[in-house]
Parts: sequence; structure tokens; C-alpha cells
Amino acid sequence: MANHLQFNFQDATSPLMQELVKFHDHSLTILFFISALILYILMMTSLSKLTNKNILDSQEIEMVWTVIPAFILIMLALPSIQILYLMDEIASPDITIKTVGHQWYWTYEFSDLSKESEIESYMLPTADLQNGDFRLLEVDNRISVPMDSKIRMLITSEDVLHAWTLPSMGIKVDAVPGRLNQVTFSSSLPGLFFGQCSEICGANHSFMPIAMEVIPLKTFESWIIKL
Amino acid sequence: MLACRAIHAVGRRAFASSSSLLAHGHVVSKPEPWTLPSYYEQTDIPLPELPYVTELTSAQHALKEKEKGPWGSLTKEEKIDLYRIKFHRTYAEMNKPTSEWKTVIGGTLFFIGATGLIYLWTRIYVMGPIPHTFSEEWVAMQTQRMLDMHVNPITGISSHWDYEKKEWKK
Repeated sequence: MANHLQFNFQDATSPLMQELVKFHDHSLTILFFISALILYILMMTSLSKLTNKNILDSQEIEMVWTVIPAFILIMLALPSIQILYLMDEIASPDITIKTVGHQWYWTYEFSDLSKESEIESYMLPTADLQNGDFRLLEVDNRISVPMDSKIRMLITSEDVLHAWTLPSMGIKVDAVPGRLNQVTFSSSLPGLFFGQCSEICGANHSFMPIAMEVIPLKTFESWIIKL
Repeated sequence: MLACRAIHAVGRRAFASSSSLLAHGHVVSKPEPWTLPSYYEQTDIPLPELPYVTELTSAQHALKEKEKGPWGSLTKEEKIDLYRIKFHRTYAEMNKPTSEWKTVIGGTLFFIGATGLIYLWTRIYVMGPIPHTFSEEWVAMQTQRMLDMHVNPITGISSHWDYEKKEWKK
């Protein structure tokens, strides 16, 4: 989860998010260089006393300032495409969970076992929080997933558009009514991770969070039996 | 047949070209004021199209006649007068700093201050109380829970906590 006034990414809890953080560092470095250069050029041209209104073109400088940005764009595109294809990798998942968005709560369905089970996840109102709970993030029934396993999430909605988000794993998937969106992820970091609905869906759009527990497989097995 | 009749009715002049009109001394169109040469005062236009003073007094006329002779015979004041006929201000006068920046900064700070006062009034008289989870005790309990959960252990809050000594890292 994020700290108070946190401005940067949360620490990565899935390999995909690690790649995204690295790519973000890479592109932000390039952006800082370009911005510093532009700032310098801006200052130099506006404070210059030299004026020549008859300069029309110059082949050399135009060649330079076309080739260098093209090179920079390639340097940005290559890791971006790599991550894009990494996200769409088809790996046979260990477990499939269906996430259904409603106004204004989430339901999670486990259909892999012989017994189908479903959890309804409503936000805990601020008045009902226990000591030290996180306001607007805690839910009554959290979804649990096993650690180190490839999880396939199928996300849809029963009524309007919602979006299922887990920023620490770099997941944000639209819940579209009448459509199943698939995302596969895995986490080797156990713990409790939060997210909030990311597509405007009505009055309580800010009040339907996602709370996911990543737990060892044995604990997960004993948990899911009891559902 | 009908076309012939129509042309004769309108008159031959309506179809004459502008070049033939000009050759006979008729002005084609009134020139727009902004197309005529004018006096521009800009630091990157050293020689404007027109002099500043176009209607000269008799004294200035005499000075202009004297200018046609050797310039060594002109006195300093005469040279300055000739300059003032040709140009309105000197480069030094054009580049002189103004006090405009003081007005701009002062006005900006004033309006920022006014905004702050409006926000202060709104905060005190309009907005309701903040949630109870902002109290110091609750924030302490929350922070302890975040540390117990090892939230953001690599570069975030848990990486700044020394779990052995049970204190924040120096």
C-alpha cells in the first residue's frame, strides 16, 4: 500500500511490476536529459543579443536534430515493446479466479475446485474500523491467492464499467459488462496488498477497494476448503 | 445575341483590365495603411523604413542642407539634432529596464495571498471535521501495522525501520 503523500511507485511485488519500474526509471532519465537540454536552449535563445532574421535553413543541424530524436525514440520503444509482449505471455496458470465488479463491491469466484465458491468483498465503513485499520482500503472479506503460483484472473462486471487494480503488482484491468478480460500474474512476496476501483462507476466509486492476501500454498489450501 | 446585348447594357468599362485603367491614370485601389512604409522602433531593426520626423521645420531643413556638406563641420548638438530627426530613441533608451517586474510580482503574490485567505475561511467555516483516522494515536497504530506487514520493504517505509533495534534507521 502507499504511504501518506506517496508520489512514487509502490515496491514491486510481481516480476512484471519490477520490469515496469525499471522501464520507468529508464524513460524518466531520458526525459530529464531532454528537459534540461530544452531549458538550456530556451534560456540561451531568449537571452541572446544576436538577431539574424534571414536564416532560413541549415542542412547539418536539421540532420542532427532529426537523427538524435529518432535514436532516442528507438531506445524508448525497445524496452516498451519487450514489456508489452511479456505481459501477454501465455503460461498455463495454476489457478483461475473470476472477479466480478458490481455497484459498489467486488465478488470473487473460485470454480477450479469441485465445489464452486464465491466471496463478496465490501469496503469497511470508517465508523467500523478496528484499531490501526486503513481507512477506505479495508474490506470485510479479502481474496487470498497462493504465493509463487501463476494466477489467471478473469475480470468482468455485472452492471457498469469498473476497473480492478493492484498497483504494487502493476495490474489495472477494466471490468467491462459482457466481456471477460484476462490477466495473469504471480507474486513471490507474501503479504497484504491493496488497490482501489479505477473506473468511475457511480456514487461509491471511491469506496470499493480491493484487498488481496498472498499466502503460502498450504495456508491457501486450508482457507479455500473452508469457503 | 442576348450576351452581346447584356454587355452593351452594362458598359464596356466594367470589363476593362486594371493595367489599362492604370495606364490611363486611374488609381486601381486605395492602398491599406499597413502596407505603406512606417517607422518601427525595435532593437533588431537598426534602420527603419521611414525617418521619425517626416515634416521638418525650417531650422531642420537648414540642418539637413548642412548635412550634405562635410560632416566634420557639424557641431555635437547638430549631430544630436540630426539623430533625433531620424530616430525617436537611442539604443540605450530602448534597452532601459522598467519597473514592470515589480508590478507583476506584487500583483501575483497579492492574488496568491487572497486565494490563501479565501481557502482559510472555507476551511474554518464551511468544511466539516476530518475523519478520526487522522488522530496521532490512530496514525501510530497504522504505521506499526504497516511495519509489521513489511509494506514496501525495498525502498519504502519498511526499509527505513531497523527491525532489530525497533527504531527508525538513522
